[in-house]
Amino acid sequence: MVAYPGGARAVRSAGRLNEPRPARVEVNFDGSPWQVNHQAVELVREEWRVLDRWWTEEPVSRRYFEVVLESGENTVVFRDEECECWFTQRGA
Amino acid sequence: MIACIAVPGFELRAALRRAPSLALRPSALAPEAGTEPLIGPVTAAADALGVRPGMRLGEALATCPGLVLVERDPAAAEQAWEEILRSLEDAGFAVDPAEPGCVFFETRGVERLYGGLEPALQRALAAVGPGWDPQAGAAERRFAALAAATVARPGQVIVVSGDRLQDFLAPLPLSLLPLERERYAELEALGVRSLGQLAGLPGAAVAERLGPDGRRAWGLARGGAAAKIRGRRPPAELFEAIEFPEAVGNELTLRRAFSALLDTLLARPERRDRFVRKVAISARLVGGGSWRRTTTLRDPTVDRERIRAALAPKLAELPTPIVELRLELVALTESDGQQLELLAAGAEDRTRLREGLRQVRASTGSGSVCTVVEVAPWSRIPEARALFVPRDD
Repeated sequence: MVAYPGGARAVRSAGRLNEPRPARVEVNFDGSPWQVNHQAVELVREEWRVLDRWWTEEPVSRRYFEVVLESGENTVVFRDEECECWFTQRGA
Repeated sequence: MIACIAVPGFELRAALRRAPSLALRPSALAPEAGTEPLIGPVTAAADALGVRPGMRLGEALATCPGLVLVERDPAAAEQAWEEILRSLEDAGFAVDPAEPGCVFFETRGVERLYGGLEPALQRALAAVGPGWDPQAGAAERRFAALAAATVARPGQVIVVSGDRLQDFLAPLPLSLLPLERERYAELEALGVRSLGQLAGLPGAAVAERLGPDGRRAWGLARGGAAAKIRGRRPPAELFEAIEFPEAVGNELTLRRAFSALLDTLLARPERRDRFVRKVAISARLVGGGSWRRTTTLRDPTVDRERIRAALAPKLAELPTPIVELRLELVALTESDGQQLELLAAGAEDRTRLREGLRQVRASTGSGSVCTVVEVAPWSRIPEARALFVPRDD
């Protein structure tokens, strides 16, 4: 028996680009981060909110922060208001 | 312990340094241009006549027709605040400024230096200067320290020990919490008027009624989370300024002046080849007052064109002609080198790249090379915009 050559490809699924990754974030009393993954935040460059899919059973409610870390690295973190967890994300 | 030094109405006090006689008259900080017409901090004379900070301008003028509006002077405020921070640092305090008029520091290291907590805080008040009427508070939590400093009288120190924390916070007003105005009204309508009353409610019920902000406020009313204080890294002191013989409002002239300042500033030997991370441009306005914009560059650079592209467009936001333009390098990097790209992108490289990908695929198996396919580039959710799909051709 000869295997169908496209079979292996058919079962491979596509992945999401820029999937959020869990992050360890310490926050100030106003909710802004002062430490991300054990690195101190040098400054918060920008802050914004994303509220989407509120009409579905999986609403998206996030508070984003673009921060510069002590090492000079730019990174974007957000707090998922639904699960009350923090994530880092590229491409935001 | 965490200490907090607060200077209430700092922006107004800084602006009044140019017109000290107004400090004794009913006056208030003018609303910020282009925002809701709400007045800023007010003087004691205005407060006595019923004018409150955050009032609508029309209401404030109706309450006190003789109210004098003091022009905002953000550059003077920032400069004065920086002087205070440096004075505190000179006295040995590793400061963590929250905003102009509010700074935190950890007292552990300085208690022995000054012979105890209260002498250390008295030294901090002296470093700020009695002219600013600073107030000091200390507690084991950051929010409690802020609350203590806020309710202290000018020159007074309030220390809240861990076992007194809840008792101290309980009678304080809700206005200490960082909440929107509507939230205060909502809480007051529910009969909640003090931090203690809010802290006594079940957290889940508060979150359900007021959302995440309410939940955070509830946490603060119970003392707030334990957070460390980290001393700031003092900013660089590099600046250049140009004074114009007459007021200038022409954007072309301003851009030329900006370019000249930038060239001079980047050539300063004190920069020592370090890259610029944060840069500020400020101006003294012809009618008094000042204007200031700060930008943090995405990648530290000394490329004139990139700095110009980031800052020069802001000159169009100047509200009036100016008499002085000032450019500051607020933060510089520690490093003075930059990693170059391994492969420069170009047509001749594509063949090599394709061959490289073929080899990767041959050694790691199919599915190891993917291509990015945009599926919803307009989406506000970053991970919903594109997929990476295995590619074997």
